[in-house]
Amino acid sequence: MIPLRKKALLLQLFAALLVLSGCGDEKILERLGFIHTAGYELVPAENSGEPDKLRVTIAVPKADPEGKIKRETMTAVVATSKEARIELSRQTELSLVSGQLRSTLFGAALARKGIGEHIDTFVRDPAISQRVKITVVNGNVQHLLNKRYAEHPRPGQYIDRMLDKEAEAMMIPNVTLYDFTRDYYDDGIDAVAPIIREKGKDITIDGIALFQGDRYVARIDPDDSLIFAILRQNFKRGEMSINLNSLGYGKEKLLFSSMVSSRKIKVNRGENGGLSVQIRMLVKGSVLEYVGDLKIGEEEDRHKLEKRIAEYLTSNAQKMIDAMQRHKADSIGIGKHVRNSMSYTEWKSTNWDELYPNIEVRCSTEVVIKNFGKFM
Amino acid sequence: MAKEKLYPFHVTILTYMTQTGVVMLSLPRILAENFGYNGWMALIGLSGIAALNIFIISLVYRLGKGKSIFQIMEMSLPKFVLYPLYSFIACIWAVTGCIVAKNYVSIFQMISFNTTHVMLLKIMVDILVYFLVIKGIYNISKALTSFYWVTSWMYLILFFYFKDFEWARMTPFFFSGETHFVEGSMSVFTSFIGYELSLLLFPYVEKGKKFMRAVQIGNLLTTLTYIIICFICFGFYSFEQLKLMVYPMLDLLSYIKLPFIERIDNLLFAFFLFTTVSTIAMYIWASQEIVKRMIPKAKVKVIVILIIMAVFFIAWIPDTIPEIGEWLQYLGYTDTVIAFGLPLMLIAILLVNKRARQ
Repeated sequence: MIPLRKKALLLQLFAALLVLSGCGDEKILERLGFIHTAGYELVPAENSGEPDKLRVTIAVPKADPEGKIKRETMTAVVATSKEARIELSRQTELSLVSGQLRSTLFGAALARKGIGEHIDTFVRDPAISQRVKITVVNGNVQHLLNKRYAEHPRPGQYIDRMLDKEAEAMMIPNVTLYDFTRDYYDDGIDAVAPIIREKGKDITIDGIALFQGDRYVARIDPDDSLIFAILRQNFKRGEMSINLNSLGYGKEKLLFSSMVSSRKIKVNRGENGGLSVQIRMLVKGSVLEYVGDLKIGEEEDRHKLEKRIAEYLTSNAQKMIDAMQRHKADSIGIGKHVRNSMSYTEWKSTNWDELYPNIEVRCSTEVVIKNFGKFM
Repeated sequence: MAKEKLYPFHVTILTYMTQTGVVMLSLPRILAENFGYNGWMALIGLSGIAALNIFIISLVYRLGKGKSIFQIMEMSLPKFVLYPLYSFIACIWAVTGCIVAKNYVSIFQMISFNTTHVMLLKIMVDILVYFLVIKGIYNISKALTSFYWVTSWMYLILFFYFKDFEWARMTPFFFSGETHFVEGSMSVFTSFIGYELSLLLFPYVEKGKKFMRAVQIGNLLTTLTYIIICFICFGFYSFEQLKLMVYPMLDLLSYIKLPFIERIDNLLFAFFLFTTVSTIAMYIWASQEIVKRMIPKAKVKVIVILIIMAVFFIAWIPDTIPEIGEWLQYLGYTDTVIAFGLPLMLIAILLVNKRARQ
């Protein structure tokens, strides 16, 4: 047996070793700059013949309690995103770390060109979380991040919280690095991302960007975003205002809220082997605001209204799918269902990107008004 | 001390903790790469092979009537055959232990301590292992049981992934795509390795059928854990993505977000230290048992410290993570050969002896 004193000494030695070995990777909180938001955009080389450059802007919240400055933004114009880190770190007294990165913004022009290489860097770096948000910015990213929004928190946090909140209400899809890479590599669905832009003294949601591979190819208007949500996934919470005017029902308007939606995609085979896809949507919700000549307290009228809402949703969904097919962006994942209706060899011999724009997709909607408030 | 026995429950946990380890981090990818779509199902078959192997070991236990494997071997093999064999097995087991350790610390270095020397991290793991191994198998088993309870809550993490799990992503294809069945089976099978150390437990367990059943249950527990994790990965990630992820489980961990904290993956990864230390300790202990048999007069502490020091320097050789992976692969193959070969040889010896006596 080792005597007790010797044992204690050994233990102390071990403890010292344990503590000291951390010194090599010492990190002092006050000296770290936690990048919260990183923005990437294209700086076109105007007629100079050189290749386009990349402008990287980062927002770093300051941890210093005495300092009046609560944030710092830095910008670097570089040839590749890998250089940006070194260039940015030259501008600050803090060591920049990306462990707390929450959101990344891509300028629309860059997104059109493709963001694959950036995504690759993000997934490779073990410091970067799978929950980092991917967002497209319509407009100048640097300006968006540099600006002071008097009535809102600092831009990074402002954007992050707004995206969270809007995603919860299904107004935009919640797109994190995980979601984006998953759909990017899946052969049966294409990735999407929310779009934001500056609007006066605020930042606002500007729709949904549809990707084909890593390129941004089409946009969905914010007014249609709930229809997109219905097509893309099942959800339990949503709200949309519907203007039945477009269907020729006079001046009828309503707010359809507390929506619960589920959709089924069915793949059918024609006699000649051709594919057709049937999307069935079931939407339940309550109508708390209605302007029009129907009496929603009466059952007959309510059923009429359900039919009209269904008609509205179907026609808009159909238009949206036609547009997606035109842009070859399978953003709602029809490919997954087609793939799952086939054998492996059949799927492998199908060129889905070529087939997708040409298949017939039909939508149908069933709407149920669960309640209409506490007044007849 | 002599009265103490390993209870079946402890044997189960011992088996499970020896089998599982850092391999879990990359297992879903290896399955996707080698078995194609729905590759997780291959685990069922491979677990069956492990169960068969355990059955062979149980035959040794039954035929030998609980004699230790050393007693069985020494019944008929001359020393000049035995000692090289002993040394070989002791070496392989000790090196397996230390490369497993190196693998763990290398990943740890990549995610948390980028500039700290790997071997410094490894020394710390080795010190833990040393203190564990010198206490003997009863205390190891008790420690491993508490380690098990410390890590068992991690199953709850799996609930995080239900929301983004999608059946459509699993696809109806089975084992299609680019596949390498033979190579894949061999490398995935190494993740089941560890149960063969039950060969050395014969003298320490309660006599009876329950012992081998406990090893089988331990193997089942491992299988179940692997299947759940890999199944979730196949429905949580898209197939092509899974093939590109080096450590799908690390990414799973970084996905977790609690209302008050995000990025707890480093913390969670530290919990893998428990299962890793268990694996290392068991292999070093097994190696020590053999050396002890060869040099009965040597002190356990001296043997353990010498083994750990010797393999420490061996662990210095592979430097990069791919290199370590390659070493682990070949060690795994050799361990598999030992796991099948050793009990078969023992059965042969027992049968020959039985006939000779008749």
